[in-house]
Amino acid sequence: MSQPANDIGSAGLEVENADMSGCEIAANDIVKLTHDKLSTEEVSASVVCPSCGAVSLFIGITRNSFEGKKVVELEYEAYIPMAQSEMKKICWDVRQKWPSVKHIAIHHRLGVVPVSEASVIIAISSPHRSESLEAVKYCIDTLKATVPIWKKEIYETEDCSWKENKECRWAGSREK
Amino acid sequence: MTYYKAARASPPPKTVLACSYTLLEHIILLMTTEVVVLYFAKSAELAEVRSENITVSHQVTSLQLWQELVRKHPRLVAIRDQVVLAVRQEYVSLGDELLILHPGDEVAVIPPLSGG
Repeated sequence: MSQPANDIGSAGLEVENADMSGCEIAANDIVKLTHDKLSTEEVSASVVCPSCGAVSLFIGITRNSFEGKKVVELEYEAYIPMAQSEMKKICWDVRQKWPSVKHIAIHHRLGVVPVSEASVIIAISSPHRSESLEAVKYCIDTLKATVPIWKKEIYETEDCSWKENKECRWAGSREK
Repeated sequence: MTYYKAARASPPPKTVLACSYTLLEHIILLMTTEVVVLYFAKSAELAEVRSENITVSHQVTSLQLWQELVRKHPRLVAIRDQVVLAVRQEYVSLGDELLILHPGDEVAVIPPLSGG
């Protein structure tokens, strides 16, 4: 199963699976940056595989408040080519740590993301559940620490603030 | 006659000076390189620019490179303690690490990340 990348800022990378006897389908790393609304169905369908009993999913959603201030929307920007290469590095790391993982899909939205909409969706398939569950957690934790994407919270009061992930090693002491 | 001799004597020094200046320019050109600097998030707001070409020494430390950016955009100093650079899409902390820059290399100013 291959995933052609059609959106601007999208990339799909196919990695050959060494074990061709048990499963003929090559493992996919699907990394996508898009201004379009994200679809959970599309992302999870892209990692489904007949040999995998588990698909684990993480969806990051815009919250409506931060420190008592009402958030109207988030606005994301990215250093697109480096964000893609850092996300591919995360996929590579996952495959070293959890070799049984089959497909990995990381979709991140850019531009304005209204409250209650998804800004990031990660889906990973594996034969059994523990690997994909652990790998999804690793993916989102590492994405927050290493992928050059930034979000600005826009408040009801019309002021705004660039957020800082506590996972980022050069962030200040301010909590996210 | 004396006047004629004096007139003939003046051109050679100017010619020698002209050659030296061109050689110096040449040396400077060999030692510097033009790179593309990209600004993101807070740094783009402080610098009021998203992208620009700058000419720097082709060997600089990451700290020297940052200082050159602050020289051009003094407001960047506000994020000095919470910034790294990305040179050819690899993160570099501000410090003594010597960078070898090539013409057209991308240098990005990277404020604290907030993806996800």
